Amino acid sequence: MIVTGGSRGLGLVLVQRLADAGYRAVAIARKETNPLLSAIDDAAGAIEFVPFDLGDIAGIPALVQRLRKSFGPIHGLVNNAAVQFHGALALMPSAQIEQLVRLNTLSPIVLTKYVVRAMMADGGGRIVNVASIIGTTGYSGLAAYGATKASMIGFTRSLAREVGPMGVTVNAVAPGFMATDMTDALGDDQRRQIERRSALRRLPTIEDVAETVLFLLGDAATSITGTVVTVDAGNTA
Amino acid sequence: MTTAHDTSLRTRIVEEFARVAREHGKTLAPLTDDLALLDSGLDSLCLAIIVARLEDRLGVDPFSAADDADFPVTLADFVRLYEDAA
Repeated sequence: MIVTGGSRGLGLVLVQRLADAGYRAVAIARKETNPLLSAIDDAAGAIEFVPFDLGDIAGIPALVQRLRKSFGPIHGLVNNAAVQFHGALALMPSAQIEQLVRLNTLSPIVLTKYVVRAMMADGGGRIVNVASIIGTTGYSGLAAYGATKASMIGFTRSLAREVGPMGVTVNAVAPGFMATDMTDALGDDQRRQIERRSALRRLPTIEDVAETVLFLLGDAATSITGTVVTVDAGNTA
Repeated sequence: MTTAHDTSLRTRIVEEFARVAREHGKTLAPLTDDLALLDSGLDSLCLAIIVARLEDRLGVDPFSAADDADFPVTLADFVRLYEDAA
């Protein structure tokens, strides 16, 4: 199981849960973090770390070749790595917009291209794309980010149709705002407002979202493909 | 000029076509050099599987190496791409 952005936030919790569930989890990220290092220590060989800058699009084919050589057939891919820049589009530097599209859209599509054909050659596999409720609902200051997350939903639906006949499922998970490094940028007022507007009067936890991804990767989700599972404590209900 | 190495490469590619056709229940047309890949009986997903398998077996993927490679039209074009990349 490959998890991009596996060194912190949702990705880190996910590799830990995958290891707990008996999978071998490979975390891909630019740098190790201390929490990832201690997770690797605790997991006794079930978690591996592969350093890679996912913005290096030209390096992706060699990365996938290396992953297959080192770890064998790839059963699952979780496209989780993403960046979020918050701010008025009218003032956002074009370089930031480009980075958002590169890391949140281009990189996962190219990575999936190389992983999915290996999955097809091996007879099947699971792909989960981490989108966001911001891909389908609006939030001021996240226009470019929202565009990249909407793109992952369109990608999910069409790819599911394309590779379904070869035994590969493709789904997306759309989290609402969670308490992660990514949402630390939100002020307390914004956070309380989001909680107030959610049916369950709270934010979903990272663990809630990780469990949903785990479900989609597991045997119970064999007949689920091309769909988006929203985990937002009812924020968009 | 065809060398012994090239012949074996062609043979391995043809073997892979036959294997993927068998696995996916496709009827393969006779694999002559001028056969258009689209008429081979394999669809684009099967061709993608062949490229992935050949990458495992030969260690090369000529389609990733070139920025602007059009997908080859005939079997001979396909084999030539691998010969050039070897």
